[in-house]
Amino acid sequence: MAAESPTSVRKVVVHLRATGDAPILKQSKFKIAGTDKFAKVIEFLRRQLHRETLFVYVNSAFSPNPDELVVDLYNNFGFDGKLVVNYACSMAWG
Amino acid sequence: MSEAQKYVWKGSIPLQIHLHESEVTTLPPPPPALVLAPRIGYLPLLISLLKPHFSTTLPPGVDTIWYIPTGVLFDLLCMEPERPWNLTVHFRGYPSNLLLPCEGEDSVKWSFINSLKEAAYVITGNCKNIMNMSQTDQVDLWGSVLNGNLESYSRVSSKLKLETFEDEYTENIDSASTKSQQSTGDAEAAGQVKTSRIPVRLYLWTVNDNFDDFEDAPVIDNWDKVSYINRPVEIHKEDGKYFSLSNAVKRLLPEYFPESSFANEGDANINQSAEEEGENSCDPESSGHTVEIAEIKCVRIQGIEPSLEIPFSWVVNNLMNPEYFLHMCVCLKVSEANAMQ
Repeated sequence: MAAESPTSVRKVVVHLRATGDAPILKQSKFKIAGTDKFAKVIEFLRRQLHRETLFVYVNSAFSPNPDELVVDLYNNFGFDGKLVVNYACSMAWG
Repeated sequence: MSEAQKYVWKGSIPLQIHLHESEVTTLPPPPPALVLAPRIGYLPLLISLLKPHFSTTLPPGVDTIWYIPTGVLFDLLCMEPERPWNLTVHFRGYPSNLLLPCEGEDSVKWSFINSLKEAAYVITGNCKNIMNMSQTDQVDLWGSVLNGNLESYSRVSSKLKLETFEDEYTENIDSASTKSQQSTGDAEAAGQVKTSRIPVRLYLWTVNDNFDDFEDAPVIDNWDKVSYINRPVEIHKEDGKYFSLSNAVKRLLPEYFPESSFANEGDANINQSAEEEGENSCDPESSGHTVEIAEIKCVRIQGIEPSLEIPFSWVVNNLMNPEYFLHMCVCLKVSEANAMQ
């Protein structure tokens, strides 16, 4: 536990789901290092969709703040081996 | 509401805010602004006070980790508390690739509500209570945070039914009865152990050297030095009558405190827990006085450093922030030999 090598860093499967009129991505599942921040997911989506303003949610419920680690989100809110992330171009869930 | 909660809500931090030198356009530069900032508030909410002080032509925006409550930033970044706390504002050059832009009060409110939903999700497994809030209640709730109005906050937040962590330990001590069976038995299937999940945002930094005085403590000059950890504390009713702050910190950080090291719940002595850890290959002699991987140097919550033996239920019920997260700043001393990579 104390000495995990960088190569064994846990990867998390993120399932990206479009909501509302947001464009659907060709590939919807991605692996991301658990040590990455949620900001990286947001940034990835911004680049893929060429949009500055995006609303990104977990489990169609809430927007985590961008500094939260992906692994924390997965452990707290993930199920079936993945973290469900919804994205929308306009505010979807307040 | 408790005395302690009232103190938390009344708490504020004197700030002396300077304009970043690259943005000074007048000679002499404008004098710093002195502001009293509420602990439970957020720095961007001060903009309306600051802008007239410095200039009216600058675009809005704050270059800070704006979604963290002001009191937490202070506890974290200002180890030996200076008063007033000196801050520098930038109104330009916002690193939008790193941070979500803050567009004033609406952004902060949005972030607050989302944290509240996240906390509700941790506690109940969904956000229905928050989503189903009436518009009026939502406005009132946010208004109470803005104005530091604990009474109005308590009125609205009690409707959310998120108080899962009743002061059962106190009750047990007082009455030594089986009363808790009644109060929690309805929703849960009979015979099952009830688990409470407490939403925690933990700000962790580690030091290698010993220091006795916080003036000698290494300064956190970079957000990257802080591990921002979001993990709930899981508490099983079975755990017994007494679950301390120290137990909670150790349970939150199993990578530093393997489970076995506090198997004995309620053990008051935190320094002599583990005799021999599997992962710990270090020779006890070489690390000085202890074979622990880490030692809790300090835990700072709402500006105080509570005793580590204080019941965790008290900490949660009295020191949590209005969005139902308990923000804890934790400093661990990790000896070099055992330092995590």
